[in-house]
Amino acid sequence: MSFYECCARSLPEGSDSPSRLALSARRLGYAGIVICNSGQSPAFRPEAASAVRGMDVAWGVQIRGPNPKALRSRVASFRNRVPFIAVSASSEDLARAACEDPNVDVLIHSESARRGLGIAAARAARQNQVAIGFDLSPMIRLRGSHRIRWLRSARRNLELARKFDLSMIITASAGSHLDLRSPRDLMALAELAGFEAEEAERALRLPASLLDLNRRHWLSPGVELL
Amino acid sequence: MRSKLPVLRPRRRYVIFVAESEEPLQSKDLAQEIRSAQISLFGDEGAASNSLKLISFQAGFGILRCGHLYIQQTRALLATIFSVGGIRAAIHVKGVSGTIKSGTEKYIPKLCKISAESEGRRIELEEVSGCIIHSRGREIDINPDERTPGLGSDTRYLGLTSFDLCGGHDDADGTADGL
Repeated sequence: MSFYECCARSLPEGSDSPSRLALSARRLGYAGIVICNSGQSPAFRPEAASAVRGMDVAWGVQIRGPNPKALRSRVASFRNRVPFIAVSASSEDLARAACEDPNVDVLIHSESARRGLGIAAARAARQNQVAIGFDLSPMIRLRGSHRIRWLRSARRNLELARKFDLSMIITASAGSHLDLRSPRDLMALAELAGFEAEEAERALRLPASLLDLNRRHWLSPGVELL
Repeated sequence: MRSKLPVLRPRRRYVIFVAESEEPLQSKDLAQEIRSAQISLFGDEGAASNSLKLISFQAGFGILRCGHLYIQQTRALLATIFSVGGIRAAIHVKGVSGTIKSGTEKYIPKLCKISAESEGRRIELEEVSGCIIHSRGREIDINPDERTPGLGSDTRYLGLTSFDLCGGHDDADGTADGL
């Protein structure tokens, strides 16, 4: 049972300290949590989070680049510092740039993006092993026509991800302990959004294997420093 | 009235959940929110086929009756609830059972240990300062003195733990620097 909540935001971007998020996630049945702030301001008491027993608290970064060039340079600067890099893309150019960068772990398609993922971007994501992240917080927060629009775009992205055999991640993108949902609740939500039960389970387990790979020292592709 | 034939009896399940919230919730508001979440997510037709009933709601623990084929749907609609009567809340399913009795015995703890000693005390840290609103075990909610724009998400209170206030020692009470 190694479920991970990736892309949680802590103080000062969320309203909980990392240790509170870790405690709440442990109670809900997660094995670990990845805290993804934007990396612009220092995290609140990172050392307190490691005091929570039985939880793997990993530090990641979620990048919202203003343009593709800035995005690439920020991803490159964070790659050696953190084991998990997520990119939240609000436009097609940004999504394309993120998919073409092998340093990116997950591309999270944000709700504000009007159009879904493009075919070229999906093909690039396949080549560079970029996973597609489904942020389920709009499903929780929105009601009515906004949620319908989000569900439609999520379904389209899901079809594309299946077609190109991309790995998928689901997250609640929590900013506080009240935004966290247990793994089974997230799976139930994902099934409504069109996921198969096994796909949803695999999507919740994927961050663990990504973190495991990224924490090792790679000299070049396929060459590991032991 | 004659009772129903046994084969026509609806098969029910009882979903035991725990509601976390910033303030105590009213059971009437919660029932209304569950109903509106169900209609928003599944429509009138879905609400008719899965008839929900809030059996009881006390001290944060609740029992909700649903149809035996709709447990996954019920989990999903409970997960979409993010505020009840204007109070930020979250509902987590503890388990599902076939009878109220076994569900209560299995999933609802007899005594809720609540420590209210430190409520109202002040916390002064470098980054945040404010008064303690609730504390439960290691978890502490504080009401910040000032909300700087960009700090925090949409919740009223900030969530911290005793690990943030002290050096991280399990038994320390945090008086050394935080409180």
